Amino acid sequence: MSYTVVSNLDQAVEALAKSEGKARVVAGATDLFLGNLPPELVDISTVPDLLGINRDPDYLSVGAGVTHARAAASPEIRLKAEALAEACREVGSPQVRNMGTLGGNVVNAAPAADAAVALVALGAKAVLVDLNGVYREAAVEDLYANYNLSVVDSSSEILLRFLLGPTVRGEGSAFLRFAPRGALSLPLVNAAARVRLKGNTIEAVRAVIAPVSPAPTRLSETEKLLLGSKPAQDTWRRVEYTAAAEVDVRGSMLRCSAEYRHHLIGVLARRMIRKALERALESKEGGDGR
Amino acid sequence: MPAIKKAEPVIRKGRSGSAVNQDPDVWAKITGKAVYGTDLYFPGMLYGKILRSPHPHARIKRIDTAGAYAVPGVRSVLTAGDISNKSYGIVVEDEQPLAHNRARYIGDEVAAVAAVDEESASKALEAIKIEYEPLPAIFDPTEALLDEAVQIHNNCPGNIAWERDMERGEPERAFAGADLVVENEFSIPSVHPTYLEPIACVAVSDYMENLTIYTALQSPDVVREIIAEALELPLSKVRIIGPVMGGGFGGRVYGNLKLYLLSSLLSMHTGSSVKMRLTREEEFTVGRPMIAARMKVRMALRRDGTFLARESDIITDNGAYSAQAPWVSKTLSERNDSVYRIPNIKTRARLVYTNKVPTAQYRGYGNQAANFAYESLIDQAAQKLSLDPLHLRLKNCTRAGDVTVHGLDIKSCALSECLQKAAEKVGWNNRKEGCGYGISAGIHASGSLVANKDFRGASARAVLELDGRMTVYTGEQEYGQGAYGAFVQIAARTLGLEPQLLTIYCRDTLVTPYSQGALANRQTTIGGRAVQLAAEELKKLIEEAASEMTGEPVKMIGGSLAAVSGKLIRFDEVARYHHHRTSGLTLAGEGCYVPPPSKYDETSYGNISVTYSFAAHAAEVKVDRETGALTVHRIVAVHDSGHIVNPPGARGQIYGGVTQGLGFGCYEGYVFDRGKVANSSLADYRIPTALDVPRIDYHFIEINDPEGPFGAKGLGEVVQVPVPGAIANAVADATGVRVTNLPITAEKIYRTMFKGECDG
Repeated sequence: MSYTVVSNLDQAVEALAKSEGKARVVAGATDLFLGNLPPELVDISTVPDLLGINRDPDYLSVGAGVTHARAAASPEIRLKAEALAEACREVGSPQVRNMGTLGGNVVNAAPAADAAVALVALGAKAVLVDLNGVYREAAVEDLYANYNLSVVDSSSEILLRFLLGPTVRGEGSAFLRFAPRGALSLPLVNAAARVRLKGNTIEAVRAVIAPVSPAPTRLSETEKLLLGSKPAQDTWRRVEYTAAAEVDVRGSMLRCSAEYRHHLIGVLARRMIRKALERALESKEGGDGR
Repeated sequence: MPAIKKAEPVIRKGRSGSAVNQDPDVWAKITGKAVYGTDLYFPGMLYGKILRSPHPHARIKRIDTAGAYAVPGVRSVLTAGDISNKSYGIVVEDEQPLAHNRARYIGDEVAAVAAVDEESASKALEAIKIEYEPLPAIFDPTEALLDEAVQIHNNCPGNIAWERDMERGEPERAFAGADLVVENEFSIPSVHPTYLEPIACVAVSDYMENLTIYTALQSPDVVREIIAEALELPLSKVRIIGPVMGGGFGGRVYGNLKLYLLSSLLSMHTGSSVKMRLTREEEFTVGRPMIAARMKVRMALRRDGTFLARESDIITDNGAYSAQAPWVSKTLSERNDSVYRIPNIKTRARLVYTNKVPTAQYRGYGNQAANFAYESLIDQAAQKLSLDPLHLRLKNCTRAGDVTVHGLDIKSCALSECLQKAAEKVGWNNRKEGCGYGISAGIHASGSLVANKDFRGASARAVLELDGRMTVYTGEQEYGQGAYGAFVQIAARTLGLEPQLLTIYCRDTLVTPYSQGALANRQTTIGGRAVQLAAEELKKLIEEAASEMTGEPVKMIGGSLAAVSGKLIRFDEVARYHHHRTSGLTLAGEGCYVPPPSKYDETSYGNISVTYSFAAHAAEVKVDRETGALTVHRIVAVHDSGHIVNPPGARGQIYGGVTQGLGFGCYEGYVFDRGKVANSSLADYRIPTALDVPRIDYHFIEINDPEGPFGAKGLGEVVQVPVPGAIANAVADATGVRVTNLPITAEKIYRTMFKGECDG
């Protein structure tokens, strides 16, 4: 087995091209030993292009090589993409958060990946480059081919960064997870939402839940219910019911029954949307530009 | 000045000036220098691997090992036909080193291979061809009891490995005359001790037919005897030397006998040393978890809360082979009867074979499993009688001077004080809004008088070295519980010396005194008492030799040797004097502590232990009423372990034991899928992480025990016993409903709250 550490993007592309499909990109490598080891690995964890957390007027750009620990601690992300900071704080254990990267969390395509759920809720787009230097953009939720299988072929394509529209005044985001223990545990359900208010009316909403299918899943019925509404007490019961009803879930003898997971999805959907909404209200009133 | 200067371990002073790190293992562990079984290496060493049955129950029709021998690097391939394969067992002789004709669970050992490296050994396993004929398999112990059930062992019709019908007093009459009878059914899954270090060993058979096994065990002397007998070797030819033990929690009392026997056989066959180690997955699938239990229990009370009688029907799941499961079933089925004054008892207990992983023992010996059931039932009764669960317990709890319903002789007992203190510290009468509170009480033996009625005690040797330092030779075992720290304390106090002058020599069956091992809460109480007596004897011998040397009476006071004339004598002078005079002997004090015999009879009535430890734990929990999610805020652990000899060690036992009890109560448990362990990894077999551990407050009620050294009693096992029951009662207090099967997960709480299920 060969392991090549590259220090810039050109070297990474070159190393992948030379291996003719045998090499795989690796960054945090936290899940590497869970599967079969590929014959060649190209370590991109120190490529500077992948490490930035930058803000321009339209976008917050977060490098694919940013670790969960860095994302959770980043003032930019905590202020402009709070759900992502919350999700990153919950991943695995301190060791995993210090090594594992946001890009890996998405390309590894685990159906319960926390950061990916937040990224989809925030409407993040992934920026990728192939071996010919051609760039493309794709919505994060479109990067999933199947369970634990990404559309991104990491022998010939590199995920560079995520572009997020930063939350603005009147907007809020939130992430919640429900797991059998406090750390090192896959969630039974994880959920994230982004909500924008105009006055007291919900002007935009993205509500995402996992693990119910290969990719983090939008709760489109729940979103429809909320869009254009002024949430009142009776809304939340309907949110809970709609969210629980609109996804298919499976039970597992090691995690929980399908029935219980349905119940949790409803409760968590309501809680995280409410939390996002509270934050949207706060940002409106607080006037801190969130 | 030492020849090489190096950083000294920082010795913090603990309570009463006791040094914290007298345990010789601690510094090695902290610095990563500890040598465990898996670290051992010998020149020319081979690696052993085991081929295991993929079927839960199957006839082995044919084994072809030719392909394995063709794999380069393979030195030995053994099947049942290649060895004498003598039956052995700890209670029931139902095991053989390799499965002969029949495999009885997924993982049963069918063949063993030794090769120059692990890869070659693995390849050889793949090259062995076995023809199986699958047989009907049984996974549910109640099904195994049915008449039409397939018989798992030929000589065991009905699949009952062990059973017990017991009656004390007049239970039927007591139930008939009771004001209240409460009843319920509880179930507790199998749990694994989950020690951090998977079991590993190296067997070294030499040309003189000596067999030395390097492996960490809680009871190496007993294992040595089992191995000698199973391999038909003279006992004096077998020796066990222990590396540092990476945790045991009862799982390493006899460890994994299969591994020791097979590595020995491979070593005897090849003449090379053979290393074998279990993977974590093997630990779960072929290691020895504790029995699962189903308990149907009833209790009779008077209106005023007086306990009148209890009746239990208990079925424990043995798996395919027995190991210590009969003894665990016995403790599970009777120990809790002595927590309270219950004059009438009726118990039926049956240990049943199934085609699943064989079981053995775990810290607490099933006591904690039954405690969960009985303590839950007591709260049910309190609710029915509108009595405070604390007061109900105080009214009935066992007290010093009692002889309990099973004949346990309670010489010291501060259980009522423990209960009161636990309630006071948790805020029993000053409750936080929205929280649930529960309490549970437990007893545990402190050294067994009946495991071997003729061998009840312990012995130790204390030696004055030529440089004036002293060494304590002990066959007892340290595995993180602080036994050696306690021994150093005990010897130092007896001799009036600084603990730093004492060294422990241990873990070598050839040299150290024979011991029953680290089990039954016996290390500090029984082993420590022997150390105390050995140190007293050494003190006497030193004084005699010094008197002889100086020609005037010498006394050892405050760590110094002083003659009547006032002259001070150094210890090394006395050591040399004796050494020269005897041409090489050292001054050695031998101490043996032999507890008085028990009148324990064939109905199991009688005293079973030198003394008994008691505990009451209180839990404060919060339940998310929408999801069932449980947060354990606090566990208050109040203990009567007599006088606390080694306070830092005792504190560690509390934190570790409570955390394991939390795991037992809320997280752990085997899940089987048609006989296959479904959660055979630490990702799926969930033990609590640091984030799940609640605040743990502890308190010791220190009443000196008349038997233990300096009044000490055991702590290591009793500390886990009340935890699941206290949490279960707190959850019931918070939700108004009761989860009756462990572990208490969020989903089970949710289902009992909203679906009215008790055993979801």
